Amino acid sequence: MKEFMMIFIGGADYEEIGLSPEQLQNRMAKWFAWDDKLKQQGILRGGEALMPRVKRVSGPDRIESDGPFVESKELIGGYITVTADSFEEVVKIAQDFPDYDLDGSVEIREIMKLDQYE
Amino acid sequence: MPHRKIVDHLFRHQYGKMVAILSRIFGLAHLKLVEDAIQDTFIKATLQWRNGIPENPEAWLTQAAKNRVVDLLRQINAEQERYQKVSHGSIVLEISEFFLDHEVEDSQLRMILVVGHPALSREEQIAFALKTISGFSMKEIAAALLLKEETIKKRLIRARKKIKDQQIKLAYPLPHEIEDRMVVVLQVIYLIFNEGFHSTKSGSLISKELCGEALRLCKLLLVKERFRSGSLYALFALCCFHSSRMETKINTNNEIVDLQYQDRSQWYKPLIVLGNYAIQKSFEYGERSVYHYEAAIAAEHLKADRFESTDWRRILELYQHLYELQPNDNILLSMASVHLQAGQLDQAKLLLDRIMTSRLGARIYLLYGSYAEYYFRTDKTQQALTEINQAIALCSNDLEKAYLKKKREQMVGKV
Repeated sequence: MKEFMMIFIGGADYEEIGLSPEQLQNRMAKWFAWDDKLKQQGILRGGEALMPRVKRVSGPDRIESDGPFVESKELIGGYITVTADSFEEVVKIAQDFPDYDLDGSVEIREIMKLDQYE
Repeated sequence: MPHRKIVDHLFRHQYGKMVAILSRIFGLAHLKLVEDAIQDTFIKATLQWRNGIPENPEAWLTQAAKNRVVDLLRQINAEQERYQKVSHGSIVLEISEFFLDHEVEDSQLRMILVVGHPALSREEQIAFALKTISGFSMKEIAAALLLKEETIKKRLIRARKKIKDQQIKLAYPLPHEIEDRMVVVLQVIYLIFNEGFHSTKSGSLISKELCGEALRLCKLLLVKERFRSGSLYALFALCCFHSSRMETKINTNNEIVDLQYQDRSQWYKPLIVLGNYAIQKSFEYGERSVYHYEAAIAAEHLKADRFESTDWRRILELYQHLYELQPNDNILLSMASVHLQAGQLDQAKLLLDRIMTSRLGARIYLLYGSYAEYYFRTDKTQQALTEINQAIALCSNDLEKAYLKKKREQMVGKV
């Protein structure tokens, strides 16, 4: 069994698009449903939502800078890790991501395991 | 399995509650700040709760919003003193009392009375009620009232400005003022209900929610003895009666269904029972309001198990009372249509001829529609067609227009 990370990009700025309390609740319910489904299938490993504030440390001088560095539609809003056999399977799982209609997207990456190089 | 079901409309209902509590703590002058803070809190919750819902979501939301308001106040450095007052010392104890159930309810009632403040125009009152008390977004209100979002925004800004400028407080008005305020509040609830029930976007979710909101506001007021009145009970009954027919007035093709053809077995009984109870209570008070008669008329329709067994005579009698209380041409129009339904064509024509077209406003197409019906029934099909064409041309509601066009087809078929 392999592990994959689904990285959620963009579409998370609920503030900018002015969702109503009712719409926010409905959207949250969709996230809950997705999460519960993954738990039920026993494939959910973990995941977090991220705050929008970005701080970056870079270069040999460890220069600190404050974001945002990308437009909000490119900002990473969170991630979920799941176990699955293949990319195709994760693509199927990602169908339930709730924020496609808000221009969000899901990037799927396989998590590297040491034993793959043994 | 984690059970992560949140109560329906929790956010929207919580919004109204939180605005009321926080406005009481921070002052109605900071309404904008309070509303923004609450919106921020909901956004935060939608992200944060993905990892687990707090044990008491309502308390979490209120506390988070309260912290946010304090933050914002600090940021803008406004009313420094007030901020210090709310965050330190003995007042803290007092604040926690605002969160007790009965105090929350009390804050909401105060907010509802603000709606009835004479400084606000009727339009501002409705927008304010839907946003600040009921927790609809500007976009939702605009969709429900068929107005531009910008218009709603302006009305809300104006309302908030008046509240600030005239230093309107979240305090109970003087006893003699309460009655006047309540008259306005009931009118606003009545308008919200009608907006939902007769919405041009019938069948859409939002219009149903407006009706639900009107019912909820009535219930909120009925909880308190001091706000109960014959008109409030009657208004509540009226809303119950109409709502019970909600599902049958539009068919699955999204077309309007005449009362005559509605599936009476689908009328929602529990609401009718509740309405009956409320109307009985309403008669325990001495007054007779327009709501009494409107509710009684609605009840008469519900009483008839078939369209044919409708007691038209009684309904006309009730309309007569209504007209005496509030003489206007819309009621004449309704009476004419009752005569038409009952097959009393001459009486219908007499009433139609009495109506001043200029007094009907946007409902003018209904007059032409009624004339069309009259001529159609009296076999003057050509005249009927002229009238119905007028009606179609003047009707701005898509569903009603489709309904009228269907009628025209019937008429054309008869030529």
